[in-house]
Amino acid sequence: MSDDHDQERRKKSSRYDPSRRKFLKGVGVAGAGAALADHLLTGDADKVAAKISTPGDPLSGNVNLVLDLNGQKRNLTVEPRTTLLSAIRDRLEPPVTGPKLVCDMGSCGACTVIMDGKPVYSCLVLAVDAVGKKLTTVEGLGSPENMNGVQRAFVEHDGLMCGFCTPGFVTTISAYLKKNPNPTLDEVREACKGNFCRCGTYPRVFEAALAAAKAGTSG
Amino acid sequence: MNTFEWVSPGTVAEAISALKSAPAASDLDDAARPIAGGQDLLTTMKDYITRPVRVVNLKGIRGLDKIEADGKGGLRIGALVTLAQLEEHAIVRRNFPGLSEAAHSVGTPQIRNLGTVGGNLCQRPRCWYFRLEEVVCLKKGGTECYAATGENKYHAIFGGGPSYIVHPSDLAPMLVALGASVSVVGAEGKRAIPLDKFFTLPSEGNLRRENVLKNDEIITEVQVPASKFAAHSTYLKFKERDSMDFAMSAVAAAVAIGPNKTIREARLVLGGVAPVPWRVTKAEGYLAGKTPSVDVLTHTAKIALEGAEPLAKNKYKVPLTQTLVRRALARVGGVRT
Amino acid sequence: MPQQQQTQPQPSPTPPKKKKIRVPRVVNGVEQMVEIEVDDVAGPTWGPNDKHTLLNHRLTRVDGPLKVSGAARYTYDVRLPGMLYARVRRCPHAHARLKNFDSSAASKIPGVKAIIQTPLKEFRFAGSPVAAVAAISPEIAHDAIRALVVEYEVLPHVVIAREALKPGSPEVLPRDSRKPDEKNLRLANKTGDVEKVEAALKSSDAIVEAEYSTSRLHHCCLETHGMVVDYSGGDSATIYATTQGTFTIPDDAAKELGLPQSAVTATVQHMGGGFGSKFGIGIEGMLACRLSNETKTPVKLMLTRYDEFVMAGNRSGSWQKFKAGVKKDGTFTALHATQYRLGGVGQGSQAGQPYAVYRVGDSYREVYALQTNEDSSVAMRAPGHPQASFAMESLLDELAYKIGMDPVEFRKKNVRDDFYKHQFDRGAREIGWERRNPTAGGNPGPNKRGMGCAAGTWGGGGNDQCKVDVTVSRDGSVVVAVGTQDLGTGTRTFTRAIVAEELGLGIKDVVEQIGNSKLGSANSSGGSTTAASLSPSVKDAAVKARLAVAEKIAPLFGNAKPEQITFAGGNVSGGGKTITWKQACAALPAAGITAHGVWRSELQSRGVHGVCFAEVEVDVETGKVRPIKMVQVQDGGLPLNRLTMESQINGGMIQALGMALWEGRTIDADLGMQLNPSFVDYKLPGSLEMPEMIPIIDDEDKREVVIGIAEAAIIPAVGAVANAVFNACGVRVRELPITPDKILIGLMSERRSA
Repeated sequence: MSDDHDQERRKKSSRYDPSRRKFLKGVGVAGAGAALADHLLTGDADKVAAKISTPGDPLSGNVNLVLDLNGQKRNLTVEPRTTLLSAIRDRLEPPVTGPKLVCDMGSCGACTVIMDGKPVYSCLVLAVDAVGKKLTTVEGLGSPENMNGVQRAFVEHDGLMCGFCTPGFVTTISAYLKKNPNPTLDEVREACKGNFCRCGTYPRVFEAALAAAKAGTSG
Repeated sequence: MNTFEWVSPGTVAEAISALKSAPAASDLDDAARPIAGGQDLLTTMKDYITRPVRVVNLKGIRGLDKIEADGKGGLRIGALVTLAQLEEHAIVRRNFPGLSEAAHSVGTPQIRNLGTVGGNLCQRPRCWYFRLEEVVCLKKGGTECYAATGENKYHAIFGGGPSYIVHPSDLAPMLVALGASVSVVGAEGKRAIPLDKFFTLPSEGNLRRENVLKNDEIITEVQVPASKFAAHSTYLKFKERDSMDFAMSAVAAAVAIGPNKTIREARLVLGGVAPVPWRVTKAEGYLAGKTPSVDVLTHTAKIALEGAEPLAKNKYKVPLTQTLVRRALARVGGVRT
Repeated sequence: MPQQQQTQPQPSPTPPKKKKIRVPRVVNGVEQMVEIEVDDVAGPTWGPNDKHTLLNHRLTRVDGPLKVSGAARYTYDVRLPGMLYARVRRCPHAHARLKNFDSSAASKIPGVKAIIQTPLKEFRFAGSPVAAVAAISPEIAHDAIRALVVEYEVLPHVVIAREALKPGSPEVLPRDSRKPDEKNLRLANKTGDVEKVEAALKSSDAIVEAEYSTSRLHHCCLETHGMVVDYSGGDSATIYATTQGTFTIPDDAAKELGLPQSAVTATVQHMGGGFGSKFGIGIEGMLACRLSNETKTPVKLMLTRYDEFVMAGNRSGSWQKFKAGVKKDGTFTALHATQYRLGGVGQGSQAGQPYAVYRVGDSYREVYALQTNEDSSVAMRAPGHPQASFAMESLLDELAYKIGMDPVEFRKKNVRDDFYKHQFDRGAREIGWERRNPTAGGNPGPNKRGMGCAAGTWGGGGNDQCKVDVTVSRDGSVVVAVGTQDLGTGTRTFTRAIVAEELGLGIKDVVEQIGNSKLGSANSSGGSTTAASLSPSVKDAAVKARLAVAEKIAPLFGNAKPEQITFAGGNVSGGGKTITWKQACAALPAAGITAHGVWRSELQSRGVHGVCFAEVEVDVETGKVRPIKMVQVQDGGLPLNRLTMESQINGGMIQALGMALWEGRTIDADLGMQLNPSFVDYKLPGSLEMPEMIPIIDDEDKREVVIGIAEAAIIPAVGAVANAVFNACGVRVRELPITPDKILIGLMSERRSA
């Protein structure tokens, strides 16, 4: 690309003010000043729909809601902007911290939870939007004393190192094996391509998933 | 993310009314936004690229989450149909294979479980200048497209200027190739828009948007007509990182096969190379009536990339896209390369 | 269990003889050699590597069940009653001076409890922390940092290394008054005889001149930097830190809190990755402590992912210019090297360049730190080494091709240490080197396979900082306690295993307590020094515990001598009698026994060898590189745990693969900002990028000593992958990462010149 071309492009793309020093936003405006009326969002889906189906009745400020989490009804207070991930980690008492906050942008998989049977990124779900859904985190799959087949296989095959990505992988794979109990290696890779690990556990994550499938103990 | 009001209407009319009646916004990107899967919208909100005063949840609207045959061999796809649903749908797989492939190529399983067809078409650009919270570029109401002379490896080689974004949707090129249209409902009523008229170039429309949707309009449905192309369709997406990535370049190809395996007619739409799905009609025309061979496909690919204007760091997109055109056509035309 | 340890020195009235040895100490992740004095007496030994009952076996992680079930509590998971959430406001300019700071709007937001400024008034990179806010929720804290009004005087910057060399470029840092001629370029060292090198080059049969560069990389710890400060006023505090050095926290935290160091406890039970970036409290820790001190309320400050990319450190980039000579018979004759460490406002990482594995004949080398307005690089797994290794291994490959010699044979001819030779043979066999086409790009079709290889080395020795207590109670329970930390490397597991093996118990019969600064001191986990520092102390404590138990229970065995009482299979035997461990322990005093272990230099060593072989497939029509298979042969003395050691070798290969093919910071020259501070745009390899991986522990290494291998694992694979790419497609990409665009452009220019 010649300099002339670049000059041309710059002109073409910068119609008003070519100064590169004016790229920054000025004052960020905080939006915390909204009326903080409390609202109630219960776990009963129909009631919820009835309650919030009127456009004239928007929710804002602090909202009380009930989540169906790991087989329990859990009450908590969130803002509409609170993600499901933050809700269970930062708002729920006691918190559920198996799902990890890592990228907060739906690009790493560490926050994966199972929502109505499907793995989703809980950092890209609003808590107000998770009401009435059946939610399962890694804690809901098994405990240290009573691990599910995938969890056991992860331990046996060393499918973890620092362990921060592990809940996401375990959750994703547990959900996947329910859908496809007898996957090939390529299918396992495809199933967990939305989960990222930095320590480098992938080969053994794959081994663990295949071993869990072979043992027929996904759940 | 800024605070917002959350509204969850039960009907399309209520949704439109909720969008229209939202508190006044000082900037286009502060205006009320509809949310479906939220897989892109929430990322833009977290980065303060959009700061809607009100978010209108469409998922409570019944009937928009179905894939139905239109009775004439075509499809009606509700805007709330998830990418996972679309990808796995038996009729889509059988009769519109390219569409299933395009859906499969999006993001990750987690994203496809929530991301919707409507949302995929309306997602915002992935340009890294655009996505940086602190940078007010042309598309955010600023005065400059920093990609023009900056780090433009992933940017447009067609249709650029004054902004050089590429459209990130994988469904869009395939749906344009299949001649799809969208139903759009807004305060002023309902309209059907052919998808190739839905997306707008930076030079011809509102620079701050990538399509013709108004603030109080939502997509309710995508119609894919019966066509002689659909059965021989494919979507080839090239990612720098296979596990999760947007297209560095992509090709949606669909052909109608004539007698003796000739190509009667073709549709070729490029993705990841322009601010809109980039249809290459001259290449389509060249291909019509030809018996596909390596030479024919190579020449088609050459024509498809004619007129490309690469930036300083994306010249590679020309040979890359030529390869994808050849391979996509070889797949649908039954040629071994 | 066979007893390897025969004697324990009797206490003597005169102090034991001392000897001086040199050991690595890690300061901020960077290894420095220091001389220390240790007892010069015979201590315990490990015994032959193949005679262990637990060590050198495949032990599953003892913390595995906690981690796979979400029960492991990381720093990021800590939530205390009333705790505030903190966020940092960053400067977006690569160089600016603070003009005005107005927090009035932010402080009016309900829920905002404290706003503090950093001491910085001039910011020299985009991402410098300007201020921090504590609020009752993460969302409100974020609102508040955005509501801060900060005005800057924007100053000229330079973020492109080559631009920083130019006479007119802005000054990144004020000049050193002793070296007024040095602006952004600072000479680090100069070694060798340039005239001898010139002469040797003249008499060489072939010469290769080439420049290599590597990108700034990010650690991408999944758990971002940060801490939870549990302080509510009063006279003590607990710091939950995600750290590689439990003991690097209390001192600085105490200073910020105005408390005596002894009143501050640091704890890290599990941590989500460090890779060299987590030592000390950092500026984020300083801010967390100050916010907590100001509010007298617990504060949690974890960096956001964006923060993490731009202010939590990175691996320094490199720019390396080589001119090398070789004889036709494959003898490396001469090397002239000019190397720039690209560490932003920091000094960058020094590597053993030209890479230390090979003899290079006469050599001359100039090393510079070349500074830019970017955040300082910090230690990252084998600081400087993968950069140097990539360049050197690429150069070796170019030389081998130039003289038409097989790259494996060429390396075997020039390695300094013959131990590598069998590793090369083993690696070649495992990858199937005989299938390799010696002609680069010579395979038919668009998808061309190729292979490459490389070698690496590292220290991995320990130091004397670990003090370990082993306590055996009367109920037979055993606790091994030391303040060290487990980064996911398996520290908990081997610590338990050493004690269990010594006492003839199973791994579940021992409990480890770690990650707390109130326990026995331990070194930071950097420079692969943990295993070699900790395991000798644990072994020493375990042996002493065994002897102490034996002494107390000797009456049960006819007053047998402690050394004659053996512990194996959960039983204790002596004088022809065998009882269970529990029965034996019942004879202990009420308080049980506690033994204190200290470091034994003879139980560890330094210096490891490793080679990596890679096979890739390059699609020459798209530029895509698909890794097919990677093999790494790695020695390390006594493998404490084969399962976790293999995992670490895998991890090293995978991180190296990322460096070779996808990872790198992209920065805009004009804006001075990083453009890819996210996991979308900074591309870590994922499940679909993985080749078949074969980690091989080299059991030809018969040394009965413990050596760390974490850093060694990441070094050779970068060069191996790069060389495989060249072999596959004939395009030599000398600038990492090797992305499709570079291969396609390389092929285009090749065609043009052909």
